[in-house]
Amino acid sequence: MPKKLVCDGNEAAAWGVVLSRPDMVAVYPITPQSSLAEYISQFVADGILKADLMDVEGEHSVLSVLQGAALAGARTFTASCGQGLAFMFEPYFRTPPLRLPIVMSLVTRDGISPQCVWGGQQDAMTVRETGWIHMYCETAQEILDTTIMAYKIAEHRDVMLPVNVNHDGNYLSYGVEQIELPDQADVDEFLGEKNVNWHVALDPERPMGVDPLTGGAGGIGPSLFVRYRKGLCEGMQNALAVIEDIHRQWGERFGRFYAPLVESYRMEDAEYAIVTIGSMSGAGKDAVDAARNAGEPVGLLKIKTFRPFPLEAIKAALSHVKAIGVVDRSVSFGWNCGPVFQELLSALFYLRIHIPAVSFIGGLAGADITVDHFERVIRTTADIMNTDEPLETIWLNEAD
Amino acid sequence: MGIGYNTIAFHADKCDGCGKCVTECARVHSQTDNPAHSRIHVAWDDKAKWAGLALCRQCGEPDCVSACPAGALVKDAYSGVVFWDENRCVDCHLCTLACGYAGIVCNPETGRVVKCDMCNQDPACVKACPREALEFKKGAQLFNQWGDLEDLVVPGLSSCLGCNSELVVRHTLRRIGPDTVVATPPGCVAGVGAVGVNGITSLKTPVFHPLLTNTASMLAGARRYYNRIGRDVTMLAFGGDGGTADVGFQSLSGAAERGEQMIYLCIDNEGYMNTGVQRSGTTPYGSWTSTTPVGKALKGKTRDAKPMPLIMVMHGCEYVATASTAYMDDYYAKLDKAVKAAKHGMAYIHIFSPCPTGWRFPPKLLIEAARTAVQANLVPLWEYEHAKGDIEFTYSPEHHIPVDEYLKLIGKYRHLDQEQVDYIQKKADRNIAQLNKFTLHQEITTGG
Repeated sequence: MPKKLVCDGNEAAAWGVVLSRPDMVAVYPITPQSSLAEYISQFVADGILKADLMDVEGEHSVLSVLQGAALAGARTFTASCGQGLAFMFEPYFRTPPLRLPIVMSLVTRDGISPQCVWGGQQDAMTVRETGWIHMYCETAQEILDTTIMAYKIAEHRDVMLPVNVNHDGNYLSYGVEQIELPDQADVDEFLGEKNVNWHVALDPERPMGVDPLTGGAGGIGPSLFVRYRKGLCEGMQNALAVIEDIHRQWGERFGRFYAPLVESYRMEDAEYAIVTIGSMSGAGKDAVDAARNAGEPVGLLKIKTFRPFPLEAIKAALSHVKAIGVVDRSVSFGWNCGPVFQELLSALFYLRIHIPAVSFIGGLAGADITVDHFERVIRTTADIMNTDEPLETIWLNEAD
Repeated sequence: MGIGYNTIAFHADKCDGCGKCVTECARVHSQTDNPAHSRIHVAWDDKAKWAGLALCRQCGEPDCVSACPAGALVKDAYSGVVFWDENRCVDCHLCTLACGYAGIVCNPETGRVVKCDMCNQDPACVKACPREALEFKKGAQLFNQWGDLEDLVVPGLSSCLGCNSELVVRHTLRRIGPDTVVATPPGCVAGVGAVGVNGITSLKTPVFHPLLTNTASMLAGARRYYNRIGRDVTMLAFGGDGGTADVGFQSLSGAAERGEQMIYLCIDNEGYMNTGVQRSGTTPYGSWTSTTPVGKALKGKTRDAKPMPLIMVMHGCEYVATASTAYMDDYYAKLDKAVKAAKHGMAYIHIFSPCPTGWRFPPKLLIEAARTAVQANLVPLWEYEHAKGDIEFTYSPEHHIPVDEYLKLIGKYRHLDQEQVDYIQKKADRNIAQLNKFTLHQEITTGG
């Protein structure tokens, strides 16, 4: 019988780490990730997690030691967010092109300034172009399960990319739920042998120059560099099918099926849709249920995998609707709308789906996105179905 | 490979013809001070203020041996010394005619020949010389000991003419061997192609191009994993001074505090030489660099260099040492200690690395620059072992030359006025006084 326990999202993530049996964990505490780092430390102290824990002097070194460890062959884990992620950025955006399958929880947090330690997705959205796989969770159970799945995705031979398993700071990090702990033997069988550094290694038994200079005007010019870049794109593209397949395998073994890329909620006959990401989706679904009961033809599309961008899944879900309203928990400065909204506009144009769309920004600085907010989102989206004009961004918490 | 031998070197510019070497040699070999018994002779030209030395060269193909009809002269294959057998010698003195150096001569008191036997590899004349004009060169031992080791670096790195960094990299890897993971962050060593170019590597060891900022932490992670799986792999960083003292300092400091097991080598060429000679935290006072230029208002760098080796001592590293390529036997001995220390914690070696290109001096003066900086006490050679707690000089700072002897060789100091030179002299004196205060004489062992 799988064990059940009541815990918050950070502890759920830590249990996911325990079950994935990494060799090396490096952490540096930062709100709202800190308790995750503390759970990990306690699990190591208790002998539950038999990893080498490196409590280094900052996030920059956190990812650096993991790069060294992965190049030597270690399965690795870390967690960070916000300013920590900003400080980590230099090794962070180097991890994907090195094709190192590192898994990291991002306990998403708003960016400073203004000074703020609360939840938001500004950190994760800001690094979306770096080549990491980004998956956003909705519940504590999904955090645990996705953390384990992340290793199988990252270490898949056709992928070999680092994965961020994202969960919302405050709402998921500290929100308490009942979760089911999978059996270790089942997880071991599910994950199989680790696959970390067959392709790139720092090992005297296989000496190689890792990351020599490329490009420049002489010799073979930039073509080698382009080949690496295209290889990374290919890994990203391959990841779409791998993520789907691994979620299916997870469901078959453990009985919990998650939408791997996007989840369509009451979308079958919907005339318009709202789009959500992360923990806000629960309130969104409640609001959609209420609207449906009142006769509104609305559905909800939740994005789980934001990188790689699930274009085909979005096409399948949105090709029949007449308008969308997209709720973001962060800001795309310059476009002055939400980044998820911005990317959906690109997708719709690419797919030649020409419908009105409106951006909502809510939940900044740890604010709750409530059912009331979603009622406004649904109402507004219904109203724009017949408009041709570009629509202003709506800031949900402006008057809160 | 042949075999190298120790030799007695003569620095004519330091000799004042005092003759102490002659009397000491006579005393050791005849228990008298009669110079006739000496195997070393000095001819002093008082007008020219110049000394000529007559001493056996222990030639590789000695003419004296060829000329001897009695088999009384034999070159010893182990020590390289040409030994004279007084029982076989028939006193024909043909050898004295064959030698072109007056290295074997007739002793008028005995009528027999005398020649140097190098005092069983501890020559008395060298110890007697008050001006270090005679020097016992033991560098040959390095050649014998390590000459057969493989150069783990490909021929043809694209370094500048007279590059000291390349010298350091080749010697260091030869000594440490192939069971090593090498990290060379952005800088001269990576810039000359040590990691490789366009998919082709330049080292026979695994080598990584880490970030300028994370060399120490990256190596720490790799070493921790090797410890976990029970493999003893040496981690070696070839950091530049910028990646060590400036932007990479945080990760180095953290790794040292945690006692991460690695050899961190800082090749200090006192600035960002690879990117166009900008100043770094270890650029010394007064240096011209492209970001501390010389103009009407400012004359080079206005601040002193960051004392990295001392900073690493204060981190409690297992082993800290300074080094110079002019003293390779000293460097090899320190590398040996570093290899051992890196099995327990961090070994940090700060090696002085003059740069002909960036410092504006001719490549042929490289070793001269590396030597005079040490002799002027600007680069004191010392080592620190954590268990002992002492800083010990490995080159005595007592009989030093004025800093000007070094500064005048180097183009980046060409503009210095007397006030600046005086400041640098005082700074050198104070640094030695400061180092002397770090002698604690309190042994401790690292706690569990």
